Amino acid sequence: MPPAYLGEFEQQVLLVAVRLGDEAFGPAIAQELERRAGRRVSRGALYTTFDRLEDKRLLRWRTVPGTEARDGLPRRLYAPTAAGLAALRAAREVVRNLWDGLDSRLVTGPRLKKEPGR
Amino acid sequence: VRSRRPPRLAGWLLRRLLPRGRDADAIRGDLIEDFGRHGSAAWFYRDALSTIVQGHRYRRMLTFESLVQDLRYALRGMRKAPGFALVVIVTLALGVGASTAIFSIVNGVLLRPLPLPEPDRLAWANETNGRGQTVSVSWMNYLDWRARAHSFETLAASRSAPFALTGMGQARRLTGRIVTANFFKALGVQPALGRDFSEADERGASAPVAIVSHEFWQRQLNGDPAALGRALVLDARAYVIVGVMPAGFRYLRPYDVFASAAPLVDAEWMRDRGNHQGFVAVGRLRRGVTVEAAAQELRAISSDLTREYPATNAGIGAVVEPLAARLVSQVRQTLLVLLGAVGLLLLIACANVAGLLVARGAARRHELAVRVALGGRRSRIAAQVLVESLLLSFSGGTLGVIVAAVLLRALIAAAPPDTPRLDEVGLDRAALVFAALAATACGLLFGLLPAMQASSVSGQQLVIRTRAAGSSASSHRLRRTLLAAETALALVLLAGAGLMVRTLGRLTDVDLGFTPDHVLTVAVSIPGTEPSDAELVAQTDAMLSRARAIPGVTAAAAGFSIPIDGSNWNSVFWVADKPVPATHENLPSAAMIPVTPDYFTVLGTQLTKGRRFTDADRAGAARVAIVNSALAARMWPGEDPIGKRIAQGWPERHQAWSEVVGVVADMKFEGIAEAAGMALYMPFGQQPAASYLLVARTIVDPRSIVPAIQQAAGGVNPDMPLARILTMDAILGESLARQRLARLVLSVFAAVALTLASIGLFGFVSHTVTERRHELGVRMALGATRARIVRQVLAGGVGTAVAGAGVGVALSLALTRSLADLLYGVEPFDAATFASVTAILLGVAVLACAIPAWRASRTGITGALRAD
Repeated sequence: MPPAYLGEFEQQVLLVAVRLGDEAFGPAIAQELERRAGRRVSRGALYTTFDRLEDKRLLRWRTVPGTEARDGLPRRLYAPTAAGLAALRAAREVVRNLWDGLDSRLVTGPRLKKEPGR
Repeated sequence: VRSRRPPRLAGWLLRRLLPRGRDADAIRGDLIEDFGRHGSAAWFYRDALSTIVQGHRYRRMLTFESLVQDLRYALRGMRKAPGFALVVIVTLALGVGASTAIFSIVNGVLLRPLPLPEPDRLAWANETNGRGQTVSVSWMNYLDWRARAHSFETLAASRSAPFALTGMGQARRLTGRIVTANFFKALGVQPALGRDFSEADERGASAPVAIVSHEFWQRQLNGDPAALGRALVLDARAYVIVGVMPAGFRYLRPYDVFASAAPLVDAEWMRDRGNHQGFVAVGRLRRGVTVEAAAQELRAISSDLTREYPATNAGIGAVVEPLAARLVSQVRQTLLVLLGAVGLLLLIACANVAGLLVARGAARRHELAVRVALGGRRSRIAAQVLVESLLLSFSGGTLGVIVAAVLLRALIAAAPPDTPRLDEVGLDRAALVFAALAATACGLLFGLLPAMQASSVSGQQLVIRTRAAGSSASSHRLRRTLLAAETALALVLLAGAGLMVRTLGRLTDVDLGFTPDHVLTVAVSIPGTEPSDAELVAQTDAMLSRARAIPGVTAAAAGFSIPIDGSNWNSVFWVADKPVPATHENLPSAAMIPVTPDYFTVLGTQLTKGRRFTDADRAGAARVAIVNSALAARMWPGEDPIGKRIAQGWPERHQAWSEVVGVVADMKFEGIAEAAGMALYMPFGQQPAASYLLVARTIVDPRSIVPAIQQAAGGVNPDMPLARILTMDAILGESLARQRLARLVLSVFAAVALTLASIGLFGFVSHTVTERRHELGVRMALGATRARIVRQVLAGGVGTAVAGAGVGVALSLALTRSLADLLYGVEPFDAATFASVTAILLGVAVLACAIPAWRASRTGITGALRAD
């Protein structure tokens, strides 16, 4: 079975979850995303993405007891599954392939020849 | 540490609206924790709401997507195996359609409350005679009931009155009722136009008044409000129209006109307490009073009346029933039997479809197992199988509604014409809801078993076991059980159908005592307030001679009653040479039938002794009578009745003796299934009546002379209405309508059930053969004979059928008792019927199994072994 396709935000969420490891709780993931990706994260989008990743079996979670700061409500600790990691590797491979040999061009950008008569 | 709490409203929304089951608490906790860091109420609102909204959207999309997927999958499956889908859908359409049609009738006739306010409080009351038969309440007794009973808010009485309407174009017969002034008050309905009857309208001196139905007002009076105050000439008496009932009002059935009782109340025959004039009481019970309590009270009043008037009221009791129950008591049993039959058919259809789906599920086990092994979730697979069966049942249900519409039309046409409330029956909302429920219930019922089976597939195990060593033992067991159940239910329906077929056979073999073919009957009423006897005889003679002159008519006669239709006049009588019984209850009673001389000739009734009436037996001549064999045998056993003397009425009011001059064969007056009672015929010339039935024997189709008869009547008296123009065959047919309907429905159902059961057996055995092909091939290779193979394959299917038939016989013994009311000349446990239907069922079962078994034996050894 080929590795699952990852959307951009899904990819970012998974990467952050890998990075945070044992600290990959919901608020921490949101914070890390905002810090590293430099964008505001809508919590609605975030939780839907968690759900979607879980439905695709790329992410799983377990529930741990809560803290006082959250009224004692339980916390979910997220971790990518093996399939999730495989999907990340595949995505990186795709990006790498696409990037291959393009570094120099990005400095100046491609030139367009002027067409005659214009 | 957080200093502020998040906005309360947003917190409440989160608690209420987060999609359940997705660890909503954890998400809420995250948001609260984040709020501690961000601290902005606006942020909290925005993100709480986005979490709620997007969560819902996502979940809805998921459900919808998977539903669409399942539906698409199911449709693809149906396209791949169109035969399978077709069989399932048609089976269901038959089951759902038949049950919806029958339900519509049962609902319209039995279940739906009467279209009157608080129908539960309406009760019907009548009297019973010493023999326990229900008789109409005597007017004087009714007045005492009304005065003394406390159970009723209002106790009214009414009798049907086939009025002759004259003075408005061609004379017509109307359906009417003579009612007491409180009649509509008891029913709880008021005229839409004009006024209700008042107490004054019931006094003998009052002018006759009438209230007409909305339909009559529209049709006959052009819906003119000025019709109020105009006179209707009914039976040559002018009734002033005082009111119009609301549209759609009906009492038991639609009536044209309701007339006040004023013209009757002071008549001597009304004042005769011993005379039961055809009135039926209907009352509105006081709140909280039960029908039983009311019955007790009326019975107590009846015993008081018996003490007060022993001469007329000996043995007279009272009977009270809910009006709705009374109304449909005749057809209730038939309809419940049909509803039961249809329930069985629906169950059979379900069992059949479940069997098919289980078989298909078994065939698809491998596919499902692969999906489980690849990580398909069991709940999703079960849901998919369920969606598939619901799609099938929905299609079946939709087709079923069409079947129901067609069937309902046929059933209404076949139903007994006097079935009350039949005009209220239709494929209405209740019926559609019923169809939808039946279809869904079927879908769940037959979808659940295969769904459970599918979800219990264990992944690995089955993928490994590639060879279709086939369906597991459990699915085989399940199919066998379903098939046995189906066979059992089919046998019940077959037994019911068999009993009805035999009943109708017996009924058509009954000796009627007359020859029904080529006889036309017409109800004639001679108009006039009180025409003299001479006038009645003259008009009747004129009518008969004109009828005889019609080409194709060989004989015509008049009689006060005709066979099957029921006697219109029953009376006590006594004979001169026997002691008069001490009490009235023991006086013999017979049908009194004035007839013209040719009456027996027209009906083809045999004269066994003496002579027929002649034209000389007229008023002023010696009074004569003809008795039927039953009366002769009862009154003069072993004696010659000719020359004996007989008198109608109570002995103390002695009327003239009549001399018996002839004896005729017994005719069935009260219906084919009823025993012929005693009958006393007298010359019409000596006992004429204003309304009679004209009977004409023809050598042409009796219906073809109807215009000529109408013309003849117009020639005698343009104000003389004719009604109920029917052939004797039609009357006979109507009287059997209940049995015919039961036979029709049960036979059709039984045939469908038998077909379904045999298709099921056929499918089961073919499937087994396919599965065991390899094994059978090996057996044949090892020297098993063809016959042995056939026997072996047959045994499985036939064994199931035999087991089912056994259960079916036991079940039938318990259920056919409910048919007892409809049967004639056959016991509910008729051994011959049971034996023959079991034989039919098993014969068909063997045939259904034999075809695939035979095919199995034809498969060559190599072919069978190559199958893998």
